[in-house]
Amino acid sequence: MSPALPYTDTKPVGHADFYFAVNATFRFILKRFGYEKLQEYWRNIGASYYKPVSAQWLDHGFAGVAGYWRAFFKAEPGAEVAVHESADEVRLEVKQCPAIHHLRENKREIVACFCQHCFFVNEAIAGPAGMAVRITGGNGVCTQRFMRQSRNEPAQKLEDIKEAT
Amino acid sequence: MIGCYDFCGNYEWTFEWLRQQGGHEVVRSYWDEAIHHDSQVHASALIAAKGIEGMKEYWGPTLADEGAVYERTATDDVFRIDMHECPSKGFLIRNGLQQYPDYCDHCMGWIGPMMKQAGFVVDHEHNHCGQCWWEMRRESDASAPSKTGELSGEHDVRLRADWKQPGTDHYDRATDPDHKSVRPQG
Repeated sequence: MSPALPYTDTKPVGHADFYFAVNATFRFILKRFGYEKLQEYWRNIGASYYKPVSAQWLDHGFAGVAGYWRAFFKAEPGAEVAVHESADEVRLEVKQCPAIHHLRENKREIVACFCQHCFFVNEAIAGPAGMAVRITGGNGVCTQRFMRQSRNEPAQKLEDIKEAT
Repeated sequence: MIGCYDFCGNYEWTFEWLRQQGGHEVVRSYWDEAIHHDSQVHASALIAAKGIEGMKEYWGPTLADEGAVYERTATDDVFRIDMHECPSKGFLIRNGLQQYPDYCDHCMGWIGPMMKQAGFVVDHEHNHCGQCWWEMRRESDASAPSKTGELSGEHDVRLRADWKQPGTDHYDRATDPDHKSVRPQG
């Protein structure tokens, strides 16, 4: 059986207004400490808070990755995401990012580099499991691929991740 | 991706990360600037404009959406919340998450400055076990906080057998997260 979410709540779906706080947190760190520190925050939270996810992916491989994202997006209100698992990789096709969708619906100013957090956080989770992440698109619609590091995929180009508006 | 389902966990983690970057002052600034003035700007605008009516509007749907077990009591002069099961602290307790010394401080960290801006002061206690109570009054109103059961009757969280906990934090007419005293016996 694939593992699911390491932290669980009594309600099945999260409260979308918390995306306001996620966006505001990025803005605060960016203004106070700068972009490099924001990248460090993303890497640190991926490696620390989400450490149990790394362990699940290490133990269960791609089945663990796919199971995690299916459970994750089921609990995120407004998410429209297809999770594809193959022998080589797990691919997320994000048709509607729940965070960007909610922030836009509420006319919030979105931090321009918002979508980069998925790369830095997910890469920090994937690394200890021997995996890498590559993302294209952004600003509400993107593709995220999780593959073995041994595939030596070309490095992520941040310009391949769109700015959020 | 950082999601909203387990937000309270990564939020709490973030407090400690910020504290390690720049100390307590950075955490205080985060609660005020990022949460009060940015994330919860809708609450701030509502309460500044409508006072107690705004509190009723904000703390109805929001707490319910978060899965809280709570009671609201409002008169023309005071708005009271009895929180019996805080969804946020409850999530942390159930999942065994603690990085920051006192997660509960974040509420006064953003609500306090918001109330100050709207012309209100706050009497408040939290027992670090997912229970707390709040009374908001206009700054010009010198009334003491209600006695147990006086305002919210049987819903008063202070009537719970498990209310009194060592180290309960207590605020008198406060708007600042650091203006608290600790009651050793709860």
